[in-house]
Amino acid sequence: MRDYWLSKLFFDLQDPPLADAYRADRKSVLARYPLKAEVRAAVEADDVAALYRLVNPYLLRFYFLMAGMPEEEFLRRIRATGATDTKRAARG
Amino acid sequence: MAELVGVYAASHGPMIVRNREKLTPAENESLDSAFTELGRRIKAARPDALIIISPDHWVNFFIDNLPAICVGVGEVHDGPPEPWFKAFPHRTLAGHPPLAEHVVRTALERDFEPSVSYRLKLDHGFCIPLWKAGLDPLPAVVPVVLNDIEPPFPSVKRCYAWGALLAEAVASFPGKLRVGILATGGLSHSIGEPDMGRIDEAFDRECLRQFESGNPSALLGFLGERLHGAGNGASEVRNWVAAHGAARGRGFELIRYDPIPNVYVGCGFASWNLG
Repeated sequence: MRDYWLSKLFFDLQDPPLADAYRADRKSVLARYPLKAEVRAAVEADDVAALYRLVNPYLLRFYFLMAGMPEEEFLRRIRATGATDTKRAARG
Repeated sequence: MAELVGVYAASHGPMIVRNREKLTPAENESLDSAFTELGRRIKAARPDALIIISPDHWVNFFIDNLPAICVGVGEVHDGPPEPWFKAFPHRTLAGHPPLAEHVVRTALERDFEPSVSYRLKLDHGFCIPLWKAGLDPLPAVVPVVLNDIEPPFPSVKRCYAWGALLAEAVASFPGKLRVGILATGGLSHSIGEPDMGRIDEAFDRECLRQFESGNPSALLGFLGERLHGAGNGASEVRNWVAAHGAARGRGFELIRYDPIPNVYVGCGFASWNLG
């Protein structure tokens, strides 16, 4: 199951001007999206493992690239989420 | 009547372009020569129009409206919007409305109900193979978006039938036209998943062997069992299956297979002999 507004945020951030605005002032962009409190907290904490469960993996990968997380760091964090997730085959 | 003059497949991993400076010379050479050979074969077939089957990487569609299959019927499509792919020389690509509309009509007559778009943005999935194969000028394109990105996915059996339908539509198109079909994506890879970067070479090689064997039911059975375990990106093999269906499951010829860690993808290139 996807979190709709988290997915929408990541999808919208493919627009370069919005991505610039987000990198400059993350909170003001986040305020436009009715994210659940725990989802917003996961975004603010760059919690790859928590967000992984809520959004399409391509959008997850795009988001952290856009947000400026180094590739090696993203790989380290996504690999640490646990490769035994039996539902991953259905995650696209 | 139109003629199906070639059916092709090529990987489209973004890192082929984005990561070019970090790839080893041998890796770049491998990719360049594979794309050059692919381009040579497409140019030799002289297609007037190219039906390209690729996923949409969240460029046109979102989870509020996500078609399983969408046919681009417009006169013009937009080039890739990805900021890292500005080197692609075409901001727009000409479509082929008569062929595209004929594909849609034929589909509806045969109990397929694709969605329709009059203007698609063609992301790297469409444009990396076109660019790297050196197709310039470009043939007219009929983009077919097949959802390999966000589950639930069309079954591989249905993708095979979709490809057969494309061939049927080409054969019944009332006009003198040379048409090629290009499937993009695959083979095994994993993006944004805990096994990101894993390439399932054993899967890829068996998958290619199955394509070469020309036994569609064995191929579909194999994919039914193994596709989900080859990484989320391997879902794009569905596009290859559609190409296989268009070629009536025969005459697959591998151009190159190279599992390239810096691209994250088991890169495959192939054409089908239609004779």
